[in-house]
Amino acid sequence: MQHTGSLAVLALGLVMAGPLLAQTSGEEETIPAPTANDQPADLAEGQTVLPNGMDITADYMENGRWYNADGIPTFKNNDDEVDYAVFSGYRRYHAECHVCHGPDGEGSTYAPALKTSVLNMDYYDFMEIVASGKQDVNASANQVMPAFGTNKNVWCYIDDIYVYLLVRGTDTIARGRPAKRAEKSPEFTAQEDACMSG
Amino acid sequence: MKTLLTGAAVALLLSSAAIHANDSVITETGKPDQWAIQTGDYANTRYSELDQINRDNVGDLRVAWSFSTGVLRGHEGGPLVIGDIMYVHTPFPNKIFALDLANDGKILWRYEPQQNPEVIAVMCCDTVYRGVAYADGMIISHQADTTLVALDAMTGEVKWQVKTGDPAIGETNTATVLPAGDKVIVGVSGGEYGVRGRVTAYNLADGSEAWKAYSTGPDAEMLVDPENTMVLGKPIGADSSLNSWEGDQWKIGGGTTWGWYSYDPELNLVYYGTGNPSTWNPSQRPGDNKWSMTIMARDADTGMAKWFYQMTPHDEWDFDGVNEMILTDQDVDGTPRKLLTHFDRNGLAYTLDRETGELLVAEKYDPAVNWTSGVDMDPNSENYGRPAVVAEYSTEQNGEDTNSTGICPAALGTKDQQPAAFSPKTNLFYVPTNHVCMDYEPFRVAYTAGQPYVGATLAMYPAPESHGGMGNFIAWDNVAGEIKWSLPEQFSVWSGALATAGDVVFYGTLEGYLKAIDAETGEELYRFKTPSGIIGNVMTYVSGGKQYIGVLSGVGGWAGIGLAAGLTNPNDGLGAVGGYAALSDYTELGGQLTVFELPGGGDAAAAEAPAADTAAAPAEGEAPAEGEAPASN
Repeated sequence: MQHTGSLAVLALGLVMAGPLLAQTSGEEETIPAPTANDQPADLAEGQTVLPNGMDITADYMENGRWYNADGIPTFKNNDDEVDYAVFSGYRRYHAECHVCHGPDGEGSTYAPALKTSVLNMDYYDFMEIVASGKQDVNASANQVMPAFGTNKNVWCYIDDIYVYLLVRGTDTIARGRPAKRAEKSPEFTAQEDACMSG
Repeated sequence: MKTLLTGAAVALLLSSAAIHANDSVITETGKPDQWAIQTGDYANTRYSELDQINRDNVGDLRVAWSFSTGVLRGHEGGPLVIGDIMYVHTPFPNKIFALDLANDGKILWRYEPQQNPEVIAVMCCDTVYRGVAYADGMIISHQADTTLVALDAMTGEVKWQVKTGDPAIGETNTATVLPAGDKVIVGVSGGEYGVRGRVTAYNLADGSEAWKAYSTGPDAEMLVDPENTMVLGKPIGADSSLNSWEGDQWKIGGGTTWGWYSYDPELNLVYYGTGNPSTWNPSQRPGDNKWSMTIMARDADTGMAKWFYQMTPHDEWDFDGVNEMILTDQDVDGTPRKLLTHFDRNGLAYTLDRETGELLVAEKYDPAVNWTSGVDMDPNSENYGRPAVVAEYSTEQNGEDTNSTGICPAALGTKDQQPAAFSPKTNLFYVPTNHVCMDYEPFRVAYTAGQPYVGATLAMYPAPESHGGMGNFIAWDNVAGEIKWSLPEQFSVWSGALATAGDVVFYGTLEGYLKAIDAETGEELYRFKTPSGIIGNVMTYVSGGKQYIGVLSGVGGWAGIGLAAGLTNPNDGLGAVGGYAALSDYTELGGQLTVFELPGGGDAAAAEAPAADTAAAPAEGEAPAEGEAPASN
């Protein structure tokens, strides 16, 4: 049967790069506490640079997905119509991530609000944690995030999940299922099929 | 004294060899002063004969003492009390504390197993654990990593341990275990990881495996007899499971067994339900997916299946069938019947004859339920026992990549694992429920061992056109199939109820309240806000002649995931942002036992019983003789 959702072959290349680049990240505050303290960044009208320094301005589209000038996945919505990758990310997030991180990237009683994490965390750090997992186990915490590097349902859609969280973190769309979405492009479908069956 | 007691207990054990039931569990659960099994009794009624605390004085309830478990995250289940010892468990890392009730709660022993924290990564919905069991002088714990361990109840010393599953392929444990006969029966979690569900019985004496019964697959592996295992009065027939799946999907097809277990010692039957078929995308698993979503009755000694009833053939909504089976003896149309009552995730409450599996009642216990127009109750119909699926809400019929909207209940069900209680005084069931609906969009997923295997996205929101809250606490008549009364709750009620002979029903709320209500009318009589949201189950016991009520606080579980940030309804249309109440506005993580009492010394002269140096609880390997519990009466 046909897959829907989104793409990902490119993500695999980025994954390779991710761990190398992320080695320097050390113990920084990459994962904020899952409470009301981590408010979404309030981007001023027209402001496009996130607290982590990333410019979310879409520069070019490749294989049905938007990137900024540095080649990092981003989004380009048309009013309240989200691009297809954002919709794909919404869907995959709520299949793979929300059982710990709560609906709409909002966090749960124990797992952080990822919609905020992506504003403060480098893209490559994000990728490394998703690929390799993360442990915070001590006297007061028992937090373990699994490694999803071998899970196609995550890896083939990780950039979609990322841009969905960007959209949520910047409050570009409201919570819940995006009301309108762009059509899925043939390039997108081709990449998705290649990734899922590869 | 100790020697004498041991001798008596040995004699008791020897004489019981011919009897099926586990004498120690029957003996200990038969003492109203104790809470000797998570479910209150083998029948899962969660009813206590204690009546010091009653509808007239419960308003005076106050906190007697409290105990921090030192663990955060979701605290399900509750403590046991055997003799003068209380056993408190925690979520991962699955600590156990033995508290000496005769000595101001002094910690007699503690047990903290070493577990690989990687197991946390494959627990789908928080690191909950629904508690330990007691049998034959042992505390039996089934850890998150599927280690089953038997500890000396007096000392905490490990008697034996055995591994029941493999977390590397997503097999974990969250459920309590059921000691029955000379065995202990355990389940497995991991329906969201493509785990193949089964129950396994281990010999209490040494932890060796006695039998194993899968939920799916060949008859021999399911311990099904094609001629003698019955389904709605007819033989199950050969290859009933294999014929209901396409290809080998059953091997990763779920049907896990993470719920509650009940036991009828007279019939020697164990009852439990099986979970969802994997994946959540119904298009990837054509067929009825037997025997997921099924009530199972099995012989406790052999595991052989007596009867099955599949509630939700070919699940399309994640309505796991694992909720508790409550065993009661009641009159139906003037005839005494041995009944089994089950409040399913799918929103239907079932009443069956637990001896034969005959279906007597199947009715909605939340009027919001809309995915089915009802169950075919005509024994002559080819659809006998099947729910009629409403096309609009069928995620199968709407197909992959289509968002089906407005389905009630949501995937967490009209009720999840949070167990109901039954009072023989009122003949009513007291049921903690969810009042949440959903949109559900299935799509294709690939299977990777040890990775989530879900295949659907869903959005949940409070039941539309109702009171706006996400839960109700209801009283249910299981013979008439009717709601007697219903109390709206702001959040899902995720706490197990307790009914008592004092005409009071207790339950906890996600905001953290312990509530006491009148068993007849539902009128609220008392509430107290504990330090964290309650997803534990309320229990009661007597110590020093005085009745206490205990409950674990510690928000989390599936409720803590879905409700922490509140819910929104995507169908409310543009502009309806913000939605509904957020749990994070009311409570925080915690892990605490709170114990309640009435002012004064109770109605017994023994209220200030002299503190014993050693607790007079069951000694190693023996069942305490009747009347040995010092706190009785």
